Amino acid sequence: MLMHLALRNLLRNPRRTLAILLTVAIGTGSLFLFHGFNSGIMNQYRDNTIHARFGYGQIETKGYGDRVYERPWEHWIEHADDLRKELLALPGVRQVFPRVNFPALLSSGRITVSGKGQGIDGAEEFEFFNTLNFESGKNLYDEPDGIVLGVGLAKGLGVQVGDPVTVLARGAAGSMNQSVLKVTGIFHTGIKEFDETIFRIPLKVALAMLQTDRVESVALGLGAEKDFATVSNYIRTRHPGLEAIPFSVLDKVYYQHSVDWLGAQFGVIQIIILTIVVLGIFNTVSTGVLERKQEIGTLRANGESRRDVMLLLGMEGLAMGTLGAALGILLALVLNATVLSNGILMPPAPGITRQFQVLIELAPAMAVKTALLGIGGTLLGTLVAGVRVVRLGIAESLRAL
Amino acid sequence: MNALYAGSGIAFNYRLGTQTVPALNGVDISLERGGFYCLAGPSGSGKTTLLNVLGLIENMQTGSLLFDGTDLAKISERDKNRIRRFRIGYVFQTFNLLPVLRTDENVEYFLRRQGLAAQERRQRVEDALNAVGLWEHRHKRPAEMSGGQRQRVAIARALAKKPDLIIGDEPTASLDQETGKGIVDTLVALNRSSGVTVILSSHDPMVQARSQHVIGLRDGRVVSC
Repeated sequence: MLMHLALRNLLRNPRRTLAILLTVAIGTGSLFLFHGFNSGIMNQYRDNTIHARFGYGQIETKGYGDRVYERPWEHWIEHADDLRKELLALPGVRQVFPRVNFPALLSSGRITVSGKGQGIDGAEEFEFFNTLNFESGKNLYDEPDGIVLGVGLAKGLGVQVGDPVTVLARGAAGSMNQSVLKVTGIFHTGIKEFDETIFRIPLKVALAMLQTDRVESVALGLGAEKDFATVSNYIRTRHPGLEAIPFSVLDKVYYQHSVDWLGAQFGVIQIIILTIVVLGIFNTVSTGVLERKQEIGTLRANGESRRDVMLLLGMEGLAMGTLGAALGILLALVLNATVLSNGILMPPAPGITRQFQVLIELAPAMAVKTALLGIGGTLLGTLVAGVRVVRLGIAESLRAL
Repeated sequence: MNALYAGSGIAFNYRLGTQTVPALNGVDISLERGGFYCLAGPSGSGKTTLLNVLGLIENMQTGSLLFDGTDLAKISERDKNRIRRFRIGYVFQTFNLLPVLRTDENVEYFLRRQGLAAQERRQRVEDALNAVGLWEHRHKRPAEMSGGQRQRVAIARALAKKPDLIIGDEPTASLDQETGKGIVDTLVALNRSSGVTVILSSHDPMVQARSQHVIGLRDGRVVSC
C-alpha cells in the first residue's frame, strides 16, 4: 500500500515530478557521458602507448632498465629467435617484436643531429603499431633501407619522404658504422620528446651497424591486456635472467602519470556533478515534501510512525530516481549515437603537441554504476528533505497550510 | 458507562521563541465510553490543545491521563502509534484526505495499515461509506467532491477503523450551516448506532446543542461540564 501511495504521489504534481525526473536524468546522463569520455580518453592514452611505442609490455634482461651500461649490448637478449618461438606458443600471445634501441647521429648532408634509433621488424610491426599518426608517407614495412622519423627530427634534418638520411652508430667492436637510408614516413605522435628524437629503421640494418645478433627487448602483441600475466609468469619461472615489464611501467611518465592525474581530476569533477545533482533534487523535492506537511501530519495522527513516513518518501525517491536514471542513461545513449558519434576533438593535453579525437566509450557496467549513483542521489535528496518534515511534531505538521 | 479517559492536572505550554504560552492549566477531565462530547470555548481557550493531548498528538507536559486504564505518560511512542492506528479516528477541520487516492482508497488506506485482510477491508469500506451516504461516490477523488462530502469521507475513514473514539477538531467550521448540520447528524447517528465515543471541539452552538456533554474551557481551564 505504501508503494501504491508512493507511485500515486508521483502523479500529484506532474510538473514537479517532471522537473525532478529531468534533474535526475540530466545528472545521470551527464555522469554516464562523463564516465564514457573518461574511459575514452584513458583508452586512447593506453592505445597510444601500446600501439605506438611499447606493445603490451616488453621482455628485457633483469634489471636492464634500472642501470646505465658502457657496453649495453653485452646485456641484451641472446637467442631471441628461440624466445620468440616460446612466447608465440603461449596462450594470448599474438605477435612478438624483437627490438634494439641505440643512440645515433643522423645526417641529411647539410645538417647533422643526434637521435635515438629503434631497430624494428617492419613487416611484423606494421599492423600492430598503428597509432604513430603518420603525417606523410607510411610506416616501415619490408623496405630494406627505409627509415621513419618523428616530425621534430625530420624538421631538424630538413628532410621529407623519399629523401636520403645517413645514420651513424657505434658498433660492438668500437667502430663507427653508417647506413644510408631513405625516408618512408614522418610520424607525429604528439609526444614532443618522442617526435623530436626517435627514428626507426629495419632491425637487420640496426643489428649490422651495432655488430651484434642480440636484441635489447622483445615487445609483446597480445590478445588482451590480461594476457600479460601469463607471459610474466612464464618468464619468471622459465627465464629467471629476464623480466617482463608492462607498458604502464615502461611508460610511467606519459601513460601512468597521465592516467593517475586524469583519474584524480575526473574524481573531483564527478563529486562536483553529483553534489549539484543531489542539491538540485533536494531543492525540488524539499518544496514538494514541505507542501505535504499537513498530509504527513494526518498519516502520523493515524498511527504511521516516522519510519513509515520516511519509507513512503523513500519509495517515492526510489521510483523517481529509477525512472530518472533510466531516462538519463537512455538520453546519453541516444546522444552518443547521434551528435557525439564522432567523439569530441580535444586540444593538446599537457606534454602533447597535437589535438586528439576522444570517442565516448559507454559500457554496461558504467551504466549500472551511474544509474546507482543517480538513484542514490535522488534517494538521499528525498530523505534529507523528508527528515526535516518528519522531525516536526504531529500537531505542528497538521497546523501547516 | 465506564471511563475512557481520566485525567487530572493536565498542563501544556507552547514555546514561542523565548516566551512560554500556557495552553492548558491543570485540566481535570473524565470522559465516559460511548459519550458524545463537545469542547466549547473562545479562541485560545485550549480546545484544540486538549483534543491533541487526548488524541495522543501532543504529549502533555505535566499531569496524568489514563486512556482506557493505560497511563499515557508511561507508554512508548510505538504504543502510541498503535493506539492512534487502531483505537482513535480523526476528523479534521480541513478534511485532510489523501488527494491522490479515490474515496474508497482513502477509507481503506489505514485499514491496510492495520493489517486487515482484503475481504474484511472491503466490507468495512462499504459499511462506512454507506453509513455516511457516499458509497455511490466511492470512485471519486477528493477534488471532485464538495466540502461536506469530503468531511463525510473523513468521518467514514475514521469510522472504518472501528475505533473506540472519534476526535473531531472543528469538523463543521469549513462548512455551511446546512452541511455542518448534516455532518453532526451523521456523527450523532453513528454514536448512537455503534456506540463510538465522539469528542468534538466547536464554536458552533448547533454542535453544542446536539452534544450529550459540553465541556467549557477558558484560558486553559475547564470552567463548566
